Amino acid sequence: MSDILQPRGSDENTLVQPIFTPIKRRSFFMYAGATAGATALVLAGCSKDSTTPTVNLPAGNSTTADGSISLGSGDVGVLNYAYALEQLEADFYAKVAALSNGSTLLGATTFAYFQQVAKHEAIHRDFFKAALTRDANGQVLRALTPKYPAATFTDSTNILATAKAFEDLGVAAYNGAGKLLKSPAYLLLAGKIVSVEARHAAYIRDLVTPGSFAADDQVDTNSGLDKSMTPSAVLTTAQAFITEKLDGSAVGVNA
Amino acid sequence: MKLLPFLDRLAATPAATGNAAPRRALLQQAGRAALAALPLALGTTQPVAARTQTTAYDAITQLLQLERLQMTYYSRALTTSGLIPAAQVADFQRLYDQQLQHVALLQNTLQTAGALVPAVPAFDFSGRKNVATNPVLFPNVLSNYDDFLALAQQLEDFSVRLYTTYAFINPDDAQFAKVLLRMLAVEGEHSAHVRGLRRDRGVAVKTWPSSSDAPIVRPAAAQALAAAATAGEDNLTQLASAGVPIVFSDFLNVFKFTSVPDASLAEAFDEPVVDVDTTKKRTPQVIAQAALDLFS
Repeated sequence: MSDILQPRGSDENTLVQPIFTPIKRRSFFMYAGATAGATALVLAGCSKDSTTPTVNLPAGNSTTADGSISLGSGDVGVLNYAYALEQLEADFYAKVAALSNGSTLLGATTFAYFQQVAKHEAIHRDFFKAALTRDANGQVLRALTPKYPAATFTDSTNILATAKAFEDLGVAAYNGAGKLLKSPAYLLLAGKIVSVEARHAAYIRDLVTPGSFAADDQVDTNSGLDKSMTPSAVLTTAQAFITEKLDGSAVGVNA
Repeated sequence: MKLLPFLDRLAATPAATGNAAPRRALLQQAGRAALAALPLALGTTQPVAARTQTTAYDAITQLLQLERLQMTYYSRALTTSGLIPAAQVADFQRLYDQQLQHVALLQNTLQTAGALVPAVPAFDFSGRKNVATNPVLFPNVLSNYDDFLALAQQLEDFSVRLYTTYAFINPDDAQFAKVLLRMLAVEGEHSAHVRGLRRDRGVAVKTWPSSSDAPIVRPAAAQALAAAATAGEDNLTQLASAGVPIVFSDFLNVFKFTSVPDASLAEAFDEPVVDVDTTKKRTPQVIAQAALDLFS
């Protein structure tokens, strides 16, 4: 397998790659509108892409030159990306839910809430694993090793702050990644999950600061739209909590 | 008035070329729908075929009417002296502001497409449809805070589900899907907060729709709202593709639990608007419209 799936880093400068490198849909439409003359050229490139979808893009778990794990491309990349984030969230909530002094630290009501969310996030994580195993067996992202700053689980303030950071990040990630998916069934599921994550985010925010749900740092004050982040921006933040280095540069490309 | 980023993108769409940009596909579809509505309105003799396909135009107009409904509801509540406790006025001002922005965004989308913008209905939150002799379906919603919150929760849940239903109705238009997804997340945050406010007042209700939520009791004539807002939320099956369920079998490593209870499985996913009575074959659009029609 490794001799078919070349590490992405090694062939980046070869002449072959531009032919096979898929063009992001959005970029394609930008090009398409640029000039009439350029359109034919881009269209030719596009049609070439559609017949050679993922030729030289790494599958999940193949590593790049710097040792990063590639999340893969296309819908598989998006699913692996969501799977990575849900792994992180599920691990964090499971650790909180397992605290023997959780009820003392957080209060019984909040601790019970964390135990419920632990189940939601485990379900989301397992959902993505099951979907990937069925549709892209062999490209399923490995189980990651989350890491946390010292004292993350020792007091209420740190637990709530970490939960808020994860939920805000998760919602922004779904908001930014949904458009990268192409399969209708997965699109619907992204919609079904993002609002649940948004509910979690609102709850945590109201716990940290009452009335801070959907506040100006989460919902754009001019458009009323929730915050959205690209995979690369999300991974830059999430990377601090994941031992393995992840490469999401091909996520959603050329589905 | 500051231009919405979304409109900036619309404006940036190049003039007609041979290539159908995704934005254009929506606009054309919306324009066609607007034209198509004409002969029906004029009552021509053409047989009206049963509509089975919900278009992007249908989706946007229905979302617009729901956002207008919510915006008007909060607007009237905020101007009703003594209804909302002082400590929560800022919360509902935010809900109002964000619904107002969604209304503006959806309305501008239609206007920019040259499509018909539906008239603003004369909303009547009592359920009497502006006829004094009709029975009241939603008593005291603008005079009693708990009754107000209960209807607010149903409308926010309805809105989460309607966005979920339509977020990807135009799958070729990734930018439009993203905008709807970002509005969906906001509705989820609203619903979570309203549910939290009710919980603070002693109502047994979770942050997400749950089988353990205390039911909101309504007369039979008002059931269309519950049908749109929460019916089918107890769904336990998620599909990987048409007819192919995802098997949730790997739940052993969740804290202390050897299996995840059904309630959590249903709670972990919000659902789109669905017809729980599969024999009637009603589309989500029809279910949602029946709920909207209760208020005008």
